[in-house]
Amino acid sequence: MARPHALMIQIAAGDPRPIGKQIVDAVRMKIATGELLPGDQLPSVRGLAQQLTINPNTVAKAYAELTAEGWLEARQGLGLYVAVPRQRLSEGERERRLDEAVGRFINDVLPLDYPPDEVQARIAHEFQQLAPRKIA
Amino acid sequence: MNTDNDYVIETQALSKRYGQKLALDNLDLAIPRGRIHAIVGANGAGKSTLFRVLLGFLPQTSGQARILGRDSQKLNPDDRSRIGFVNEEHTVTGWLKVAQVVAMQRQQYRRWQQEIFDQVIGHYHVLPQQKVSQLSRGERAGLNLALALAQRPELLVLDEPTLGLDVVAKRAFLESLMYSNTSDDCTVIYCSHQMEEIERVADNLIILERGRLMNMSAPEDFTARVSHWVADAPFKGPDPRSLPGLLERQQIDGLQHYIVLDQGDDFAQFLRQSGARNVHSMPVSLDRAVNAFLSKNHAVPAAAA
Repeated sequence: MARPHALMIQIAAGDPRPIGKQIVDAVRMKIATGELLPGDQLPSVRGLAQQLTINPNTVAKAYAELTAEGWLEARQGLGLYVAVPRQRLSEGERERRLDEAVGRFINDVLPLDYPPDEVQARIAHEFQQLAPRKIA
Repeated sequence: MNTDNDYVIETQALSKRYGQKLALDNLDLAIPRGRIHAIVGANGAGKSTLFRVLLGFLPQTSGQARILGRDSQKLNPDDRSRIGFVNEEHTVTGWLKVAQVVAMQRQQYRRWQQEIFDQVIGHYHVLPQQKVSQLSRGERAGLNLALALAQRPELLVLDEPTLGLDVVAKRAFLESLMYSNTSDDCTVIYCSHQMEEIERVADNLIILERGRLMNMSAPEDFTARVSHWVADAPFKGPDPRSLPGLLERQQIDGLQHYIVLDQGDDFAQFLRQSGARNVHSMPVSLDRAVNAFLSKNHAVPAAAA
């Protein structure tokens, strides 16, 4: 019997994101970086709740959101698994989210007064950090 | 018995007056059955009074108070056995041995389940032959929770249950509460000032202020209503009385910091019209949101106002 894949995530008290959102973000990130692969089983709702000392309903809601967005899939009676990747969002929605994220980023970074090429180099570097794991 | 009632606690226009002071002010509160509900409020917000009235220890001045569908002032022993109560002092008769306390409770509660008691008390180093007065605060908290859960109440009221517990005892307490299977059919009311704990535990956040209900929603929905704005408005900024939804205001290094409720882009517009050239906003944590919300009307010395 296959065991669930360990989910190495932490939640931070005082983070402005609610705990459920922190879980959603962390799982998405792990899938995006290849730390979680399609077919990996996630911890049970109760198991992850206990690992993080939080209310199981919070985990259940986070898992429901991840499932609705297509990151996870339920297998009858077995639990939740990382879904095979497909484009989860419509073209318009993808573009809208990218615009929004870029807008937010520009807003945050502009007042810091760095030269644009330095900022771009940093972003390229961060992507590079992610890339190897995605291939592995 | 009235088990088809949807609300474990229901008050209508409930007031309690101590002399000049209104501890509960026309309180309308309906807490649905199931899940974990946190109640927060500044000191003196009326939490303790509310529970004293609900449990029938104090008569109300006016209004209605029902618990598990029964009039609070007419609770019989059977009704009381459906309600568990753990207070912050963790008071258990000190000269009794743990085994004697357990024997008494087993006698008293028809639905008592020894396995639940054993499972919860297993988190603590408590021996049956120990006297209650010899237990540490954390061990008394564990004993109290084990006693309350083994009673298998429909409603469990916890008043600052983890106050003064060390980190290990606190964690054991939360684990017993959330994962022991023992509280599955139980509605939990959790009074606390510790937002970090509430964020982890609560499905529903109830805020009381001066004996009135100010919020009832999921904790994250409440947090989403509060935002932190920073603006470089000239001088002291706009008249605070003119600021919509203002909860808290601070001037730091010549910048105005505002924590506001239910404000969107209109608020940025408002700040710009007041002369601010740069306006930033950011979300806040639950702790900060509740803190700002309660500080709005919190007592301050006359000189500081």
